[in-house]
Amino acid sequence: MQWLYLAIADIFEIAVAIAAGKAEGFKNRKWTIATLVSGALGTFFLSKALLTFNVGVGYAIWTSVAGVGITLLGALLFGQRLNWRKALGILAIIVGVVGLQLSGAA
Amino acid sequence: MSDTGRTSANSWLTLLLAGVFEIGYALSVGGSHGFTRLTWSLVAVVFFLLTLWALSVALRTIDVSIGYAVWAGIGAAGAALLGPVFFDESLNGVQALWLGLIIVGVVWLKLADRPEKAQDPVETPLVAQGTAARAQEAQVAER
Repeated sequence: MQWLYLAIADIFEIAVAIAAGKAEGFKNRKWTIATLVSGALGTFFLSKALLTFNVGVGYAIWTSVAGVGITLLGALLFGQRLNWRKALGILAIIVGVVGLQLSGAA
Repeated sequence: MSDTGRTSANSWLTLLLAGVFEIGYALSVGGSHGFTRLTWSLVAVVFFLLTLWALSVALRTIDVSIGYAVWAGIGAAGAALLGPVFFDESLNGVQALWLGLIIVGVVWLKLADRPEKAQDPVETPLVAQGTAARAQEAQVAER
């Protein structure tokens, strides 16, 4: 269940990134509200996930998976280049998350 | 000291402060127990606003991807180190190693997300928007 909460929290955190991008420096009120609401919901689901995860472990997974999601969406939807340096960072995060899971920390 | 030097030092100090606030955010969100404990929940909201405000101020002068990487790194490393102090939790050596890899990974990823200004100016705004999402949120919180 904690993984589901963390996944939902990450979706909202990625939504924050997209909404903030469309908010035109927060001159656009609709996207600004979407940004803040997503941020609040993401925080709420993060807190649900942290009921089970260690705070340090859960927070690190949450913020890094959101980073991976933002980078991948940027490449898939917004035509940003996915270079080897970004790929290496993504790989390190995936290996680290799997390692934490297999070692019983998450 | 020149004005530029002082401004730069202040920006980095503010960035470090933003990182400390982010640690406070992570710990208090955990301590809120799913927002069922009032005091921790209120502290979490305060840290949420403080971290965004400080980050936005720092990123006026510090490069967005560098600033974001430093901020995220301090937040994640601080939460990992202080989690066991505030809560009844611990990691063994192997687990700490995997956690360290994740933190290095996210800092690396943020640094790699620097816009390629010279090569493709059309791409730049989107890249910057992605990495600066919470920074931009901060600017709104400030207003």
